[in-house]
Amino acid sequence: MSISIEAKTQSVFDELAARQTWRFKHIVIIALVVAFLVWCADGVNLRPREVFNAVPIIGDYFARMWPPKWGFVEQIWKPSLETLYVALWGNVLATIVGLPLGLLAASSVNHSSVLRSGAMGVLNVFRSISELIWAILFVAAVGLGPFPGALALGMNYGGILGRLYAEAIENVDKGPIEAMEATGASRLQVVLFAILPQALPQFVTYNLYWFEVGVRSATVLGMVGAGGIGFELITSIRLFEWREVGLILLFILGMVTIIDHASTFIRSRLY
Amino acid sequence: MDQPMLMPNTTKTKTILSVQDLTKSYGGAIHALRGINVDVHEGEFLVILGPSGAGKSTLLRCLNRLVEPTSGKILHNGEEITGKRVNLRALRQEFGMVFQQFNLVKRLSVLTNVLTGRLGYRSTWRSLFYNFSKEDKKIAIESLARVNMEHKAFQRADTLSGGEQQRVAIARALAQQPTIILADEPVASLDPKIARQVLNYLKQVTHELGITVICNLHQVEYTREFAERIVGMSRGKVVFEGTAEDLTDEILHRIYYKDPDEEEKNGK
Repeated sequence: MSISIEAKTQSVFDELAARQTWRFKHIVIIALVVAFLVWCADGVNLRPREVFNAVPIIGDYFARMWPPKWGFVEQIWKPSLETLYVALWGNVLATIVGLPLGLLAASSVNHSSVLRSGAMGVLNVFRSISELIWAILFVAAVGLGPFPGALALGMNYGGILGRLYAEAIENVDKGPIEAMEATGASRLQVVLFAILPQALPQFVTYNLYWFEVGVRSATVLGMVGAGGIGFELITSIRLFEWREVGLILLFILGMVTIIDHASTFIRSRLY
Repeated sequence: MDQPMLMPNTTKTKTILSVQDLTKSYGGAIHALRGINVDVHEGEFLVILGPSGAGKSTLLRCLNRLVEPTSGKILHNGEEITGKRVNLRALRQEFGMVFQQFNLVKRLSVLTNVLTGRLGYRSTWRSLFYNFSKEDKKIAIESLARVNMEHKAFQRADTLSGGEQQRVAIARALAQQPTIILADEPVASLDPKIARQVLNYLKQVTHELGITVICNLHQVEYTREFAERIVGMSRGKVVFEGTAEDLTDEILHRIYYKDPDEEEKNGK
């Protein structure tokens, strides 16, 4: 004897209704989350009204930046290029730091849990110290200029990229890995022929994105003496030369936009 | 093939879809469809049989405009559904689709997957909070019950076996309350026993509801067992139309091995 479709439908429908009624549990969880957020709001001194008051003030600063002081181009094109160099070499160093550590931190490559947590620990240290702190340390160690900036990005982004590489490696399709193992390939051969080809597009995507982040970041590094356009920026701000600041911000916007388009193009050719 | 082969009695049944001189080429070089003429009768279980690369999938996807045909016409109940002025959302509500790889959202529950069959009927902003109306839920659960999958309604889709997933996918197509179901190699990744079970469900349920099925298959056995009418395709052309009885070895050879162009050159 089979139950009619109507009866089956009704019983599942009733179960659905029962599942969807809000239980006491849900209400408690939501109340707790809201309470926690309110508590944290106190911690950040959240004052919504002042955000509205701030709008005209910020607007005023931007108004003072217009029109940009075009003649200032002469002084900032060189530091702008330097910023790009810093970001580029920061990225190269980050890859050199991140790739081996990322491989060691991936469970599908490195089966020793001791070595793995060691690599993860190093990555965590590199990552948790921000590039600005690294820059201050390196300026003290190797002197002023773009070089400590690139080193600082290399360390901090090395930690970030390593973590991302490891994730990309762990997410590759396992089928080809099994196939390589079945041919009698060594561990390293499996990495070279099954894992890296699959993870490579992801690696490049991360690198391109962190290059863009690096350009923005490198503008700040200049403020602590690590080269690039940031030094000009902080000087202009200190001298209240807002029209110079306007031009510098336009330059940064231009660089980031160009890199964004370039990386979209490169990624479209990649897969 | 200029003259039609054995044509079933078309006066008895209504033509629901009429494909006329349909072509599809990619970049002007690759010709997936080369002048397809097919009539589909209301309520029938039509199998499109052919080897991989014959253009079966392309033809199916032209019908609900997932693929834009290069030239030719498709009439749905006498109305043209090719061209720019057709409302695609409204059109696609009429066509349920079942895929070779099931295409369920694996992280969503079985029931939510079936409820997605109702999306064509709902405005986008009403879907923002993932809630569905009582009617939609009833329709979805009933569709699940028709393929005997209602007991798994609250499980995640990826906990089901392949055959079960395909039954859920059929339920999703049913929830759309379509007049036509397009099935693109629905059993190609299932074992023979499960494959027959899935095809049985597809045929039986659509029969009960009066839904027309156009089913792509490359397996001759299943075609013989389930097809009410067969269209044979080879290299972007229709090379056969008829029933299982007409599917002789010679016809099969024509579908699977012969080059339709050579046949034409040699004058048949």
